[in-house]
Amino acid sequence: MAMEAVDNSITLCQSCDLVIRKRALPTGVRAICPRCHTPLYDTPYCSINGMLALCLTAIFFFAPANLFPVLELEFLGSMRTTTVIEGALSVYHQGYWLVGIAVLTSAVIAPGLLLLSILMQILIIKYGLNSPSLRTAFKHALKIQGVLTQLTMLEIFVISFLVAAFNLADFATVSFGFGTFCFTMLFIMTLFLMREYDLEHMWSYLDER
Amino acid sequence: MSDKQSTVLGKDIGLTSCPTCHKVTCAKSTHCSRCDAPLTVRDYSSVQKSWALLITATILLIPANVYPISTLTNQGRVTQDTIFSGIAHLVKTDMIPIAIILFVASILVPILKIVGLTIYLSAISFKLPISKKRLMTGFHIIEWIGRWSMLDLFVISLTVAVVNMGQLLDAKPAPAATAFALVILLTQLAAKVIDTRLLWDRLEAKDDSSTNA
Ligand SMILES: [Zn+2]
Ligand SMILES: [Zn+2]
Repeated sequence: MAMEAVDNSITLCQSCDLVIRKRALPTGVRAICPRCHTPLYDTPYCSINGMLALCLTAIFFFAPANLFPVLELEFLGSMRTTTVIEGALSVYHQGYWLVGIAVLTSAVIAPGLLLLSILMQILIIKYGLNSPSLRTAFKHALKIQGVLTQLTMLEIFVISFLVAAFNLADFATVSFGFGTFCFTMLFIMTLFLMREYDLEHMWSYLDER
Repeated sequence: MSDKQSTVLGKDIGLTSCPTCHKVTCAKSTHCSRCDAPLTVRDYSSVQKSWALLITATILLIPANVYPISTLTNQGRVTQDTIFSGIAHLVKTDMIPIAIILFVASILVPILKIVGLTIYLSAISFKLPISKKRLMTGFHIIEWIGRWSMLDLFVISLTVAVVNMGQLLDAKPAPAATAFALVILLTQLAAKVIDTRLLWDRLEAKDDSSTNA
């Protein structure tokens, strides 16, 4: 398909289609659509090595966050614990499979895939942008990035530990497990990682060669 | 914003932006040159799709609130809680901050989302004279807060897994949990499918005339 010359100095607002002339911005400043106030673009600082460090740290916390108990309940001398995955599976086995899948997706599967996908993107940028098959993999990862980010709900899960513990304090003695610490660390690392990450900027790596 | 911004739209000059990667491309091409996603200048069917999802979600909001969302057995006594009675119970036991968090996430956010999306879609479908800027701000807020409704489902899944000691103390989910999960899913999708450019095309400029002075 013949690519007609498209002026690279303009952009279109995603929300209202207004034509906007791009200008260089100082760091930390975000261009906003004058018509509908949707954020348009900014100058990301997006350091690839910084992202790599954050991404690896988050991956390091991922397994213990999901394998160690997050809540411990003591009732009449007996002790029950649960991990995030056991929580999802127990509602699933009670017949509430939609709830189980929703919990599993937003707390375990989507965050895991998101971290792996970002790690792959970083490695391709660093070492593999010249290979056509890796470029295709990079493209596919960027395409699903938006969905994975939306499905990742670590912050909500961290709050839900607190709510569940306070809820149960009425009946029994509740304490947090080692998993809660790892899960909170996973959340914080992912939060900082997603601050560094800029999808527009990632797409632009495909234009450069 | 100080320089003179004329309202030239992408479709006026034969350009469109890719919904996936935001690259500006010639409107005649059918697929994005960078990411191969299909391109549309405007997606008119998105309004109907969004209405359908929103109406289904509104209907499901009724069972989600009327039926119990969890069942608790405490020393042989079985109590069932709806979303609302669960929160009322927290208020009675003086756990006001937790009650407020759950009230916002499970009752306020879903209702605000449905009301907000209804206003938004009505403004497109019936050309209501509402400030577009205000609608767009509301829309961005809805997109952001919508996911917080998941909180109650997370709490239920943790509770069910940890409270499981037969007749003495046992917690189980109840039918409203599935209805509530569907409400969250459908409202998120309803917000996601709308082509927001339609709102800006269809409404008259006079609704925002005060801000253009
Ligand atoms: Zn705009
Ligand atoms: Zn594209």
